[in-house]
Amino acid sequence: MGARRFASPYVGGFFEKTFRKGIAMAKITFPKTGLSLDHIKINGDVEQMKIDYFAASPEVDIERAELLTDYFLANGLFRRDRITALDAAKAYRHILKNRKPVVRHTFGYKKIKGQKGMVRLDLRDKSPFAGSTTSKSKGVILYPEWLALTLWPELHTMENRAANPFQLSGEDADTLNSKVFPAWINFNIMDLTRNKVYGAGEKSSPLLKLHDYLVFFLVSKFQCISHTIPDFKKALGVGLRGVIDEAKTKQAKAGGEEQKDFYQAMIEGMTGIIEYSHSLADEAARLAINAHDSEKDELSEIAGIYRNVPENPATTFREGLTTIWLCWIACHLENSNTGLSLGRLDQLLYPLYRDDVDAGRLTPEKAVELVCHLWLKIGDHVPSIPESGEQLFGGTGSNQAITLGGVDENGEDAVNDLTYVMLRATELMMLRDPNLNCRYHPEKSSREYLERICEVNVNTRATPAMHNDRAIIDAMMKKGESEKQARDYGVVGCVEPTSAGRGYMATGAILLNLASALEMTLFNGRHRHTGDAQIGPKTGDPAKFTSYLQFRSAFETQARWLMKQAVTLNNIAGGIHQKYHPTPILSTLFEGPMEKGVDLVFAGAERNSSGVAIIGFADTADCLSAVEKKVYGDQSLTWDDLMDALEKNYKGYEALQTELRNPAKTPKYGNEDSLADQNAAFIAEMLDDEFGKSPHYRGAGIHYRVGYWTMTSHAGYGRLTKALPNGRGDRENFTSGITPVSGETPGLTKTLNSVASVPSRFLSSGVAFNIKYTPYQSMVVDGENEEAIRAKMIKSFADSVAGYFQGDGNGSKGGVEIQFNITDEKIFRDAQNNPDKYVDLLVRVSGYTAYFIDLNPQMQNEIIERTEYDLFTCKAVTYNL
Amino acid sequence: MTSANQLNEIRKRIEAKFTDAFLDGLMEGMDIAFGPVGNVLLPGFKDNIKGYDAKYLFTAGNGVSSSAIFKDGKMSTNSGAIKDWDTRVSFSTPAALRDFLLSKDQDILNSILKNEVAVDGNLAMIYRFGFISRDLMGRLGIGQG
Repeated sequence: MGARRFASPYVGGFFEKTFRKGIAMAKITFPKTGLSLDHIKINGDVEQMKIDYFAASPEVDIERAELLTDYFLANGLFRRDRITALDAAKAYRHILKNRKPVVRHTFGYKKIKGQKGMVRLDLRDKSPFAGSTTSKSKGVILYPEWLALTLWPELHTMENRAANPFQLSGEDADTLNSKVFPAWINFNIMDLTRNKVYGAGEKSSPLLKLHDYLVFFLVSKFQCISHTIPDFKKALGVGLRGVIDEAKTKQAKAGGEEQKDFYQAMIEGMTGIIEYSHSLADEAARLAINAHDSEKDELSEIAGIYRNVPENPATTFREGLTTIWLCWIACHLENSNTGLSLGRLDQLLYPLYRDDVDAGRLTPEKAVELVCHLWLKIGDHVPSIPESGEQLFGGTGSNQAITLGGVDENGEDAVNDLTYVMLRATELMMLRDPNLNCRYHPEKSSREYLERICEVNVNTRATPAMHNDRAIIDAMMKKGESEKQARDYGVVGCVEPTSAGRGYMATGAILLNLASALEMTLFNGRHRHTGDAQIGPKTGDPAKFTSYLQFRSAFETQARWLMKQAVTLNNIAGGIHQKYHPTPILSTLFEGPMEKGVDLVFAGAERNSSGVAIIGFADTADCLSAVEKKVYGDQSLTWDDLMDALEKNYKGYEALQTELRNPAKTPKYGNEDSLADQNAAFIAEMLDDEFGKSPHYRGAGIHYRVGYWTMTSHAGYGRLTKALPNGRGDRENFTSGITPVSGETPGLTKTLNSVASVPSRFLSSGVAFNIKYTPYQSMVVDGENEEAIRAKMIKSFADSVAGYFQGDGNGSKGGVEIQFNITDEKIFRDAQNNPDKYVDLLVRVSGYTAYFIDLNPQMQNEIIERTEYDLFTCKAVTYNL
Repeated sequence: MTSANQLNEIRKRIEAKFTDAFLDGLMEGMDIAFGPVGNVLLPGFKDNIKGYDAKYLFTAGNGVSSSAIFKDGKMSTNSGAIKDWDTRVSFSTPAALRDFLLSKDQDILNSILKNEVAVDGNLAMIYRFGFISRDLMGRLGIGQG
């Protein structure tokens, strides 16, 4: 049975109306009391696949790496000093055409506790979406051009890792060791960049040393650019055949050979996706021959759909999901699975959903089921993190963000029925990937919508994150986006707002440890981690500073110097990407490159930037405040005593440490203390200023943006940093994102107000503000009034978010973002002791969601130590376990 | 001497230096493993360096250097520094280098944390050297606990 054809709602005038002039048809038909769609349950097939998903361990998949290596070897590309977009596109077409078309995964592997190696796990794959990111059901995708080679030492041992083991067959390990990895040993982005930095005849560089020390900053271009949102509108609206036709038209009019080749690259890439969809259709048809009953029908339907889309315009909701899924696979074959994000799926797919429902072809129940299947597919791959990396980034997925709700391009409420369908699917699946984010506009979004988002958080314990449209749109417009571009933002990776499908913002380009700037201020340009080496500029012995402003000025000098170093290295690495890793597939699925005839890596996008994530924000702000108040304000602390206390990790200075940690004695960001909040704002403004004027490798007028999200790096960087003036001891975790220091903000309202007071215009690359609420279940005694307590919690929850987003009315746009863990300490401790009981315990780290038991112990403890608030008293909760 | 006995002998020689002279032991083990005896005792191990052309310099905290050169499917080791290295590994103590190359328990970050190991030049080559080292240890049954 082939797919029945319907007219595409995107084609012609409708496409123009829908996407070029803004979606003006958002409609909510669900009753206000039924927005939870809680009558829709997970069906048997999905339930089984979910069980299998959690049981399966990731398997290293060498298919992409081997096909790419073979193509490069066969075409002499390893000997070239430049890879063009056309070279790259042909290589990706080769992969798409030759990869195994997997319609049904039949087995995977699972780890048995206490046993070496892994055992086979039979799978019951009933997905309506054929194809997968790797050839495995849950694959570790290898990108040898980036950091896959870091797995080399572990090829024979990764099955038995202490944390997050990967399955890899001996035969595949041999292929990697003997063929794939050796081919890239001098041709990976990391070593190509290092060679560029070294220059002729050199193999050592202070700039690279600074990077290799880890404690100062990390440039992630060795791993990816990714961190953006493709534009699926054309693929949905005119199909890839239509996109190819457009490229051919542009090619015919193009001036130079290079531009003609670029359009040819677009054609090659899109043709590769079509070829892949057709091979999946053939495989589905082949399987259907021997299948029975409903499976035969399902496989036949898959075959029909995959012969049609993404080549042609999508005409049904299921076809729309299929188009996005296949384009998504192709994007990940080209760009590493690091923060590549899907954008506003409830907006993109709503016309198809509405058409189908209105025509009686689709029910909300079936839509939820389809979305559940897609969510499982999106989570079908994990990053190739080496064992050592587990400590800095352990437990992370691919951070594929999806954004729901918010306002449309005209500034009107865009929440629709599909928003609620996707929320329900999220609630039912409780998956780490995709990372769900909901936009909320204080003046446009409904209270019912807000309460529903809170309810999903209560039920899933950790998702979705919430974003304030008013603050974010304003911040983006201050960085140059038009109002319409800003209103159409989607969230990238963890929390980073990006104009969807048109902003190539590389939001995770740099991780900067701000506490290192403070450290160098304390030690006149040296860092205790690197001993006597003079790292930063000599800003003087702080003991000789006569005022706080002198100290702060020295800190600013160190910080700005550190920022310049990070930018310099990132710009060099960006140049290497331009030379060796153009992105023709992503460029085709983006606004700008088609019009300009220029690849994304050369600023082909409508909007361009790179993002910096700041680690140690609250700790550093509190250090400044401690010095200001204690050393220069009431002069109760001398520099000699402070430095001696730091040297001794507060041993013998316990009373001082307690005082420095006490918000009643020492100003602490997060308590509506004006001195502390001013220091936090000073830092945010200074970082925005320096990065906002830093030169960018993609060209003039392009600069960097600053975000405050830390993934798990605040725990990793914490381990590299000794005691600090805010009372923080040696090796203790930093605080996540923009969140105030754990345990030092006893009042919820003051914490929310304090964080909201950091001017949102300086936070243009997003923030992760982590809050932990006591779950309602912990407040229920003997099962009494459970429903009433639950309802009260959700109402209080919504009140807290609305207040945080509202701002103070004095020009403040309100808090930017907030995310939650709704799990109490008792459950976390039990999960540490009995991990098998909690395989799907979802947590918010700093930005992304993760499974608690996948995190390393330090990160688990960081989450446990976060301040937990009782929503009914608005006070911090303490436990004596 | 039987193959098993020969392997045992190599294992003992490496293990004897595992703590205080790790690099010496590793180099000695590789010398044997990549040599004629290794062909018999450790079949396939030599494939690890087929077509591999690289020069490593190892510099200890006490200033003593040694090098390992891979070329034409063979390995040669030398005491003393070489100038045209591809990858240089500087380490504070033999134990730090051992942990850096062989650690199974996420101790690599601890090595960095203690600032005990630094790498210059090509980084991917150190990953390859790490694999070769681990492969040898695995085949000899050293440090597999």
